[in-house]
Amino acid sequence: MLELGPIFRALLRNKVGAVLIAIQVAFTMAIIVNSVSIIYERSQETKRPSGIDEENSFFINSSGFGTNFGAKATINKDLEDLRALPGVIDAVQINAIPVSGGGWSMGLQTEPGAEHDGIGLAVYMVDEHGLGALDVELLAGENFTASDIRWRGNAESSWPDKIIITQAMANRLFPDVDYAQTVGKTVYINDNEPMIISGIIDKLQAPWVGWNNVENAMLSPEYLERDAVRYFIRTEPGRRDELMKTVEEMLAQNKERVIDGMRSIEYVRERSYRSHTAMIKILTTVIITLTIVTSLGIVGLASFSVNRRKKQIGIRRALGATKRDVLRYFMVENFLISTVGVVLGACLTIGLNIVLVNALSLTPMDWYYIPIGMLVLCLIGQIAVFGPAKRATNIAPATATRTV
Amino acid sequence: MLTMTNVKKVFRTDLVETHALRDFNLQVDEGEFVAVTGPSGSGKTTFLNIAGMLETFNGGTYQLDGKDVSHLNDNQRSRLRNEKIGFIFQSYNLIPDLNLFDNVDVPLRYRGFDAKTRKQRIEESLEIVGLANRMKHLPAQLSGGQQQRVAIARALAGKPRFLLADEPTGNLDSEMAQSVMELLKNINKSGTTIVMVTHDPLLAKQATRNIFVKDGQVSEIEDVIPMHVANA
Ligand SMILES: Nc1ncnc2c1ncn2[C@@H]1O[C@H](COP(=O)(O)OP(=O)(O)OP(=O)(O)O)[C@@H](O)[C@H]1O
Ligand SMILES: [Mg+2]
Repeated sequence: MLELGPIFRALLRNKVGAVLIAIQVAFTMAIIVNSVSIIYERSQETKRPSGIDEENSFFINSSGFGTNFGAKATINKDLEDLRALPGVIDAVQINAIPVSGGGWSMGLQTEPGAEHDGIGLAVYMVDEHGLGALDVELLAGENFTASDIRWRGNAESSWPDKIIITQAMANRLFPDVDYAQTVGKTVYINDNEPMIISGIIDKLQAPWVGWNNVENAMLSPEYLERDAVRYFIRTEPGRRDELMKTVEEMLAQNKERVIDGMRSIEYVRERSYRSHTAMIKILTTVIITLTIVTSLGIVGLASFSVNRRKKQIGIRRALGATKRDVLRYFMVENFLISTVGVVLGACLTIGLNIVLVNALSLTPMDWYYIPIGMLVLCLIGQIAVFGPAKRATNIAPATATRTV
Repeated sequence: MLTMTNVKKVFRTDLVETHALRDFNLQVDEGEFVAVTGPSGSGKTTFLNIAGMLETFNGGTYQLDGKDVSHLNDNQRSRLRNEKIGFIFQSYNLIPDLNLFDNVDVPLRYRGFDAKTRKQRIEESLEIVGLANRMKHLPAQLSGGQQQRVAIARALAGKPRFLLADEPTGNLDSEMAQSVMELLKNINKSGTTIVMVTHDPLLAKQATRNIFVKDGQVSEIEDVIPMHVANA
């Protein structure tokens, strides 16, 4: 016998506490469910592959100075030396590092003219060793050849006439065409400057992990003719740390320059996702705190109402209620309060999600978060009320006759 | 139908032991209306609580309907109480948050009756106490006498064999007390056995039998209440 009717009617006569708890449950649900959804989204993001061999790659900066320093000659020699090192799979000069937080972006469009919008993407300037060093797979078209690579001077503003782009970028540029069919198509950079897509690679993330276009990237066949440059090195599995030392020492032998900023990709990834990790920790703390506070609220209200109704419980026992009947009364009562709370909570959750999606450009949460959240909050309520309800069962039947 | 033999009840606190009942012997037969009188603290409520299985006892035997109830567990006692015994209390003990209908409904729900049976019994018993037209009222909206009638309806609704009443008229003026008494007499006439604790000798006299409890024992059993008891 669930006694839903009388319990509900009795509740209506003592609304205040119950309504407050229901509201607390509703807010708790809205915040917890949205937090879980954000945590899930963020943790999925931190797990996204960047496309490169993160475990076995690192980069190092070289800044030349002095009158005898020659950029072209140094770069050529460095690349030759690096590629010849035992344990190095491949090495390139590069302008920016994936997931590092800093780099170049441009826009590409399929029609020439300033009136068309471009689609943003990250630019990686590499030679024909780019695919090998970055560990990306060519899905269609061809890699650059040595003769494709040009030297880009400091004042250069034009672009090479061919590029390799990621599959994600190909799909964005030509949504109606299979990516393999985009090889050979012309796209425009700087509104009007044509470039031919010569190859498609599987995956290469932009340097900015929070960017909407993080999967859009292109390889541009060029060396940067500069005194300060950066090399990206990929090693055989397990040999990264050893080679980091070797490379640093080797490059430092040239006294016309300074070597610095050597980092593993694992390090920059951790640094880039640090705010994600922090956000996850903060939200987890919020969830735990709110759960505790709400549980305490429920325990408090239930304890209060058990104390207030001692006599009544004794009367019910005298009239034939078993201990289980008494336990059930409080469990059912809590369930009714929780039900009102989670229905209200479902609306608040959706409302808060809409606000968050607009304000923080999150993806809207999946619908099933709502019913799961409702269930979980009802369960929390049932667990919280169990203690006070159990105490209520110990009220003696004689309370009915012994107290006035 | 109710037989207590040498029933003992001791209340122990850290400081004192109170022998609330000592070798309490009593037999109540089916159809009787027994009035229990006795000085304050003599053990009347204790006896009623044990008779109604609200409390356990420390020695002796208690048979209800020929069945030894001393070894029943809490659950079994609750069931038996719900089925066989109706309680009426001095302070009515209606549940303030429930209207009259829901109040009378309480023991019926624990009994597991279906909604139709419950409704029928609630209406029937409220009819008997003359409050069928007040079903949606809250207890606070009634006079003391009316509240006690609702309590009687609640005790009756489950059609118990036994009605136990602890000073049911203690909070009522003599006129209301008498009308409650008439109600109880009618209920007794229709077959329900009643044991009622009272301080009022005039009401006690109207019962079919009087017992006098003193120091936790039945000290006298008389058919007509003697004057020295009335003055006690
Ligand atoms: N829970 C308890 N703990 C300790 N002593 C108790 C308890 N209940 C009753 N007593 C004691 O047992 C004795 C019998 O009490 P009981 O309530 O049965 O008396 P009574 O005859 O009903 O009195 P009254 O006419 O005042 O209602 C008293 O001395 C009382 O103080
Ligand atoms: Mg008493």
